[in-house]
Amino acid sequence: MTRLGARLAALGLALSLAALPATSAQAQVLREPAEGKRIVRLGAIQAIDSMNPFLAVRVVSTSVHRWMYAYLTTPDSKTLAPSPDLAESWETSADKLTWTFKIRDTKWSDGAPVTAHDAAWTLNKIMTDDGAKTANGPAVENFASVTASDDRTLVITTRKPQASMLELPIPIMPRHVWEKVGDIAGFEAEQYPAVGNGPYIAVEHKKNAYVKLKANPGYWRGAPKIDELHVIFYENPEAANVGLKKGDIDWIGRLAGPHFEALAGDPDIVQWNTQGRRASYLQLNPGAATADGEEIGDGHPALKDPKVRQAIHHAIDKQALVEQVQNGLAVPADGSIVPPMYKDFFWQAEGDVRVAFDPARANEILDDAGYRKGADGIRTMPDGNRKLEMRFSIHTEDPVEDKLAQFLTGWLKDIGIGLTTRKLDSNKFTEETGSTALYDIAISGWSVNPDPEEVFATHLCSRRPTAAGEGGGTESFYCDEEYERLYQAQLVELDRAKRAELIRRMQQKLYTDAPVIALYYPNNLEGYRSDRITSITPIPEDKGILYGGSGYWPVYSLQAVATPAGPAAGGSSAGAVIGIVAGAVVVLGAGGYLLARRRRAAADDRE
Amino acid sequence: MAAPTEIEPAAGPAAGPGERGGPPGARRGLLRYALAKLGGALLSVGMVVVATFFLFRLIPGDPAVAYTRDVPLTPDQLDLLRRQMGLDRPLPEQFLDFVLRALRGDLGTSYEYRRPVAELIGERLGPTLLLVGTGLVVAVTLGLWQGTRAAWNHGGRLDRFSTGISLTLWSVPTFWLGLLLLMVFAAGVGPVPGIFPTRGMEDVDAPDGPLYLLHVAHHLVLPCVTLVAVVYAQYLVVMRSSLLDEIGQDYVTTARAKGLRDAEVRRRHAVPNALLPTVTLVFLHIGLVVQGAVTTETVYSWPGLGLLFYEAIKGPDFAVMQGTFMVLCVAVIVMNTLADVLYHVLDPRVGSA
Repeated sequence: MTRLGARLAALGLALSLAALPATSAQAQVLREPAEGKRIVRLGAIQAIDSMNPFLAVRVVSTSVHRWMYAYLTTPDSKTLAPSPDLAESWETSADKLTWTFKIRDTKWSDGAPVTAHDAAWTLNKIMTDDGAKTANGPAVENFASVTASDDRTLVITTRKPQASMLELPIPIMPRHVWEKVGDIAGFEAEQYPAVGNGPYIAVEHKKNAYVKLKANPGYWRGAPKIDELHVIFYENPEAANVGLKKGDIDWIGRLAGPHFEALAGDPDIVQWNTQGRRASYLQLNPGAATADGEEIGDGHPALKDPKVRQAIHHAIDKQALVEQVQNGLAVPADGSIVPPMYKDFFWQAEGDVRVAFDPARANEILDDAGYRKGADGIRTMPDGNRKLEMRFSIHTEDPVEDKLAQFLTGWLKDIGIGLTTRKLDSNKFTEETGSTALYDIAISGWSVNPDPEEVFATHLCSRRPTAAGEGGGTESFYCDEEYERLYQAQLVELDRAKRAELIRRMQQKLYTDAPVIALYYPNNLEGYRSDRITSITPIPEDKGILYGGSGYWPVYSLQAVATPAGPAAGGSSAGAVIGIVAGAVVVLGAGGYLLARRRRAAADDRE
Repeated sequence: MAAPTEIEPAAGPAAGPGERGGPPGARRGLLRYALAKLGGALLSVGMVVVATFFLFRLIPGDPAVAYTRDVPLTPDQLDLLRRQMGLDRPLPEQFLDFVLRALRGDLGTSYEYRRPVAELIGERLGPTLLLVGTGLVVAVTLGLWQGTRAAWNHGGRLDRFSTGISLTLWSVPTFWLGLLLLMVFAAGVGPVPGIFPTRGMEDVDAPDGPLYLLHVAHHLVLPCVTLVAVVYAQYLVVMRSSLLDEIGQDYVTTARAKGLRDAEVRRRHAVPNALLPTVTLVFLHIGLVVQGAVTTETVYSWPGLGLLFYEAIKGPDFAVMQGTFMVLCVAVIVMNTLADVLYHVLDPRVGSA
């Protein structure tokens, strides 16, 4: 062995010896949090943006707020239909404009009673203070007045009937704490323990690191069965996966396909794969115009023809996309923008309406419509002026979309449409597909809430850009009279079954007109440690979501293993000490080695 | 491994021929020199401010729409948001407002956090200083030490080995190396135990008092090692080439001729002279360390400025992007100016005729 080799070997040995004593000790101590408590640690790939519910928009924050504060209603654990929460019951007036809620007699975590005045104050605050509109401004847009006629009765009057009244995404705040806040837009709400009335109480928030919640012993449904819930922030999904496998955290939601697959093979980890909230679809530029009807953009003229859009729909093999692009972790879309998870509102194409994968049929439609194939196999417009060569806009550095583009290019070639892929960074993409309409076909998607109103609003005429070219939030540049009529009708239809019917007709309209073509519904992918979490009920109970759904059922239902009393007081501090000791040993070992080497070197110098 | 000249800095330690002549009034010369450098730095800061403003407005798209990408808003609410962001005003007015505010230390308000950017930066500064500071000290120590050894044994096995290792690590993407270390030393692979935490600077229920320092130090190990591994090559290479220059000098030969031991020639004669240009380069290269910090913080969820910048890009949160970008730029300018002045002070051949 050369001298260098020997030195390396010695260094390696020193390092592994230094690490050895830590191995066995850390396996027992590092993984164990405080003894005797039942703690669940949830990893989140998102930090809290604000603990002030009037400002917070990130999923992690709104989820935590769902667990800290009661809402008027909460989605039913089985059907997702609105069910009583802070409001025990409610009724509407004959003209559908006045809602009367009976507020539950409970207590805030500081002992003060919860009254209708709390609810009235919260809603009025959002209506009257621009600084409080950030999170939930749109939800109260249609409110005329909100009053508390007594401690138990809340009365909301609206300008027009509002079907989504029972899905208000607004936590009711304790007035006696919050009315002292002067500038609500500048208030961070970092006072702990926070006063709330949900199943959990936030007791600590270390910014960009974690939120610590404790079970609320006075919760009106009864205290949760665990003692603490920690929400721990990871910037990096790979690191979160490592944390789950190692046992630093017990549960992660909203996983991407590859991260979900990386959890396979661990006997202590449950891979939770259920139907999801999201629809992935293609946008086809239907001849974009501003909200004033003035044409904009450079969409291919052929796409103005619904027949061409339908032919493209026929050319797409959704089953193949699910298998090849999504590795089977999605459901092919036989409907439109509402995923099947929402049973009440989901519409499925059947019979003659269904657009099946059928390239021959697609070719037939295009032939009949006068788009003739040239010698190169690419069709031209009926007037012969322009070839059917189109662009497919996707995001840069997204391997899934890359793969999808390859499939789509092949399929469209089979029906005589040339497709070139255009990769755009996300800002440029948003601009070109949402404001300037510089696209032919583009990829998109939307996560749908239990009340699907907002996703339907993204296809309204009024959502198209203003005359000045400012984006209004359209997802398709679609503008259709029938669709607008149905949208307005469902807004004011308080009968859930009738409203669902209107919503299904809107989906059918989108499906047959094809300004968007739904490709698949990606599954909801999560993972949790079964050696820590012994029971958790998803929402909806039948194969639903654990994290990121609406309501608090999954975290409220959590049951976990109590941590046995260990030798160390605090697991993490013990871990730190062990780590430091190991580090010190490494340093000492390396130092000793270097010293020895130095002596030798000095001896060499003397020759 | 090829000669490492390609990563040597374009701007060498020569502080400009004008100052080199060394007038008799050395202190007045230094003052004038320092003032000139300071003026240059102020000019650079001014240009950074201008560039920042226009650079981030070159990003295509409407910030209001981009920010609310998945949040459905009515056109009225989008308008309100644009007014709140000041996007409804003409560009020159926005620019003037931006400059005046920046002079007062007001970097605007984050769209995402709804808080002043200066406050967010203040919160994140500590963790970044801890990480970058520790990393810098370790990287400089390691780099200079290894560089000295390499130069003294240049061409030998030790030289080829240590230079080769450092340059290999230098060319490794920080993100990749960070993930690798995380998977090996945080999760544990085979016989290697996972003794380090997977994220952040501290855990829930961190201990108080002196134990807290240990707790943070434990979390610091992997990010710091990642940062050091990727950047220490620059110090090694600079020290190596600078010492190689000295080895050929007559005074070294004289020292040897006096019969001094090899180690003494190195320690007392060659290294102190080689250190002069190197020390200034330590400062000049801080920009690269900052750049490494952005990725390192992202991999380890380290709650610092780099992570803030990364999140702002993802947002996109323009005010935060501008603010962090400006703070990082100004830090580099300050360090470079320090380096310039320090070089003038340290080098006995400058200004002491």
